[in-house]
Amino acid sequence: MPTFVYMTSCDGCGYCVDICPSDIMHIDTTYRRAYNVEPNMCWECYSCVKACPQHAIDCRGYADFAPLGHSVRVLREEEKATVSWRIKFRDGREKNFVSPIRTTPWGSIKGPSEYAPPSAAAMSSQELAHEPEALKVDVLPTLARSRLKKGLV
Amino acid sequence: MSRKTVFVDSDILVVGGGMGGCGATYESRYWGRDLKIVCVEKANIERSGAVAQGLYAINCYMGMQWNENQPEDHVRYARNDLMGLVREDLGYDIARHVDATVHKFEEWGLPIMKDPKTGKYQREGKWQIMIHGESYKPLVAEAARKAASEVYNRIMVTHLLMDSKRPNRVAGAVGFNVRNGDFYVFRAKAVIVAAGGASHIFKPRAVGEGMGRTWYAPWSSASAYALPILAGAKMTQMENRIVLTRFKDGYGPVGAYFLHLKTYTQNAYGQDYEAFWRDSIEKMVGDYVNHHPVPTCLRNHALLEEVKAGRGPIRMVTKEAFKDPHKETIGWENFLGMTIGQAVVWASQNIDPKEINPELTTSEPYVMGSHATCSGAWASGPEDYAPAEYQWGYNRMMTVEGLFGAGDTIGGTAHKFSSGSFTEGRIAAKAAVKYVMERSNDRPEVSEKEYEQLRAVVYQPLENYRIGRNEIVAGTVSPSYILPLHGLQRLEKIMDEYVVGISSHYTTNEPLLTRGLELLAMLKEDLSCLGAPDLHQLQRAWELQHRVLASECVTQHTLFRQETRWPGYYYRADHPRLDDKDWHCFTLSRYDRQTGRWEMEKAPVYHIID
Amino acid sequence: MHNPFAALPASIPPIAMQIYVAVMFLLVVFGTLLDLAHKGSAKYFFQHRRVASFGARRRVDAGEAAALAAETIAVSVLAAGEFCGMLRRVTHLLTMYGFVLYVVTTAVMVFAYPTAAAPGPAILSELWYLGALLVCVGGLWFWLLQRVDVAAEGHSPFRLVRADLFVVSLLASAAFALIWGGVQAAGDHASANAFFGLYLLSNTVLFGSVPWSKFAHMFYKPAAAFQRRIEHASGFRNNLPAPADRPVGFGSARRQPHNY
Repeated sequence: MPTFVYMTSCDGCGYCVDICPSDIMHIDTTYRRAYNVEPNMCWECYSCVKACPQHAIDCRGYADFAPLGHSVRVLREEEKATVSWRIKFRDGREKNFVSPIRTTPWGSIKGPSEYAPPSAAAMSSQELAHEPEALKVDVLPTLARSRLKKGLV
Repeated sequence: MSRKTVFVDSDILVVGGGMGGCGATYESRYWGRDLKIVCVEKANIERSGAVAQGLYAINCYMGMQWNENQPEDHVRYARNDLMGLVREDLGYDIARHVDATVHKFEEWGLPIMKDPKTGKYQREGKWQIMIHGESYKPLVAEAARKAASEVYNRIMVTHLLMDSKRPNRVAGAVGFNVRNGDFYVFRAKAVIVAAGGASHIFKPRAVGEGMGRTWYAPWSSASAYALPILAGAKMTQMENRIVLTRFKDGYGPVGAYFLHLKTYTQNAYGQDYEAFWRDSIEKMVGDYVNHHPVPTCLRNHALLEEVKAGRGPIRMVTKEAFKDPHKETIGWENFLGMTIGQAVVWASQNIDPKEINPELTTSEPYVMGSHATCSGAWASGPEDYAPAEYQWGYNRMMTVEGLFGAGDTIGGTAHKFSSGSFTEGRIAAKAAVKYVMERSNDRPEVSEKEYEQLRAVVYQPLENYRIGRNEIVAGTVSPSYILPLHGLQRLEKIMDEYVVGISSHYTTNEPLLTRGLELLAMLKEDLSCLGAPDLHQLQRAWELQHRVLASECVTQHTLFRQETRWPGYYYRADHPRLDDKDWHCFTLSRYDRQTGRWEMEKAPVYHIID
Repeated sequence: MHNPFAALPASIPPIAMQIYVAVMFLLVVFGTLLDLAHKGSAKYFFQHRRVASFGARRRVDAGEAAALAAETIAVSVLAAGEFCGMLRRVTHLLTMYGFVLYVVTTAVMVFAYPTAAAPGPAILSELWYLGALLVCVGGLWFWLLQRVDVAAEGHSPFRLVRADLFVVSLLASAAFALIWGGVQAAGDHASANAFFGLYLLSNTVLFGSVPWSKFAHMFYKPAAAFQRRIEHASGFRNNLPAPADRPVGFGSARRQPHNY
């Protein structure tokens, strides 16, 4: 499902160029608008589709095996922390889905420096950050060295 | 053309901003409050890596808080699935920490589905919990950004740099800015490689636009392997490639279908076929056929044999399950949150699983380290219990000093998936911080000669194209350079035909592997003639370089292991049986950059005993 | 400020300038029509409109359509609402209003006040200079910093491609206008004539290259924006899902698209 960009909706903002994990969204030299330069390296991850503020990017299934006439479009609404999908089959049937994408406000993650610095004891232990509390068990499990035996058992 | 050189000095350099890299960046800051932590990524960490489109399940969660599983159980599960060969010390280490990682994800804002009756995480299966993970990667990237001193996006790291004062110690890395072409020299006291494994080293089933629809992200260009290999690190289990049974063409995931929707497979005539092959599998692998759950590769094997016998296509029986609207929603959302392409394929072909049982297929092989497979670098294990043979210093440090790894980079740690990779990043980070703090006055030195030599190498493809282009009128055909796509297609064809791809029904033998090495050698030589018209193609050129080196390693390992350990992943026709007498061991390789030679050896397997 | 056109009749009769301005206007009209005909883009637009009307879920009546048209003019045209980034919107607004001011005052001066005897009110030429200046400021800012192939793709600001034809010829026209006006006011007639020649050349390129440049897009974009509003109102939304019926409150994670 490589992506394509609608000519009259793209305003040349560059969000798709910036987000594409494959580096395949680039700017056309005639219109200064975005397009997919390497559809055979497009994973259909929809990162560009979701990032476009104008909803100017859409996908068409890979020509190798996807007949025309289908549509799978997405509306990712960060303010509502939802993602909505509208699937249209080639024969016109439609399916709609809405899912949450986050339960906390964007930017609200507490950075690691905001926690009290770890003690020397914690540093020399096997515990990782926020352990053992974050494990929700009392103690980090461990093994006795003797439990590991070489060879076929 | 004069290019600016940007020097970036740090205490810890994290190469790769995926799940492993973001975990490493976060944890490095927690333990190293005053350290300079730099994360470098060839794309944008907001959506980079294999989790770009999201995930619908976290496949590695113990649930210790509810006594659902213990870390040992997970080790046994991974050992069983990999036919006995996993680094049980590393696997236990991930399993004992992963719950904390998942709980932090929830705290950060990842929507995890809950069982309405019990309030516990909704289990998909014994190890898997279900999530609404469309924004899994942006969430984790936010945590990494809050931790890093600097995040460098769009910088492709091409080589690691070695300490000029001491042998076998890493000192940093070089790379180039994919946008403006600047040359970057990273100087660091410790390096954590958390880059991508290998997709696109075998010819995919679709070869046009459809080439993009690989199961594992197409931007996983084996940098996780090539960077350590070139630095002289030992690699393990590189022969252990994975083949996946997934929905046809889109390679959409089947986990939720099998485990939650309770769908099952049938051949083209509506028959259950797996039991039919049990006896022949027993002849190949002996008692392993009786293990529960059935190892992934053996299930693949049954499907492959059934298809070869002419009773395909194999279908997933969904018609009954999809009558339940809740299950139908799960079935579709499973794709939308993880592999949107499958929804597109079904919409385009009018496939509604309520009416049609969709086709399954096996993919081309991939080499990576975090799924039902465990290729990667050979790493030191946890200090509290790892056997002496698996321990030479810091946890997750490779056989090169100061070089750590996490995620697909590390070998022997199967079934860690996204949460386990992030956890492994955390483990490597804490160890790297310790390493740096214990050497406060001992900084590795980067030699100007080394990075200046590398600079010329890095930009060579641009120069090859610029000069060679003068010979021809136009087009892609030149006698003096090849474009990165040409090299990629040649690599994929070699690996497909000689080193176990789909066209050979995943079968090879010593003569084929030897011939494969000859062809790979010529391809390697031709890599110095790569021509890149622009910076985007230069990135493709280096991705190809990393893929070719990793492929060579895979071929050497496949040649070395003289048995068929994982039928259904690949077959050595000249050694068709599992051989626990001689091959119940890990394969290790070490590449000598100067001579181009590979040294192979075996390493023992340690098992956790009851 | 004086009217630079008023000094021209010494060498060029006013009727020649007036014909030139009229020809420039006609070049835009015919260039746009030629572009539409050659590409068949109008045919595509109406075909798509049919598809959209078949996919509509509710009827959009004339009153609603009129309101949407007014919104299109107010938001998409007058406020440059088609640009999602604030800085790009601002540069476009500066350039757009500058261009309108400069073109209108040019026409007025050339047709109504073309001679030194009656150069017209000072405000006219002041607005002419202001318009050209706004074009230069907005255009140069856009050219050097805001262009997406420079800002997001990392190309040099001095790389020239076909998409730059419109903005470069526009900048050249405005810049040469200012220089010509200034040089002429200073009394250096030889240089003034040279710059006037360059000014005419850049105008001819600007208005004559309409079939090959992005000029005509200033007409297409509002038409597309109006069509899009109709589609959203009708429920077709070009197959986009409807907004989720969920409360807001999570903020936004959007960061600038230049992360390298």
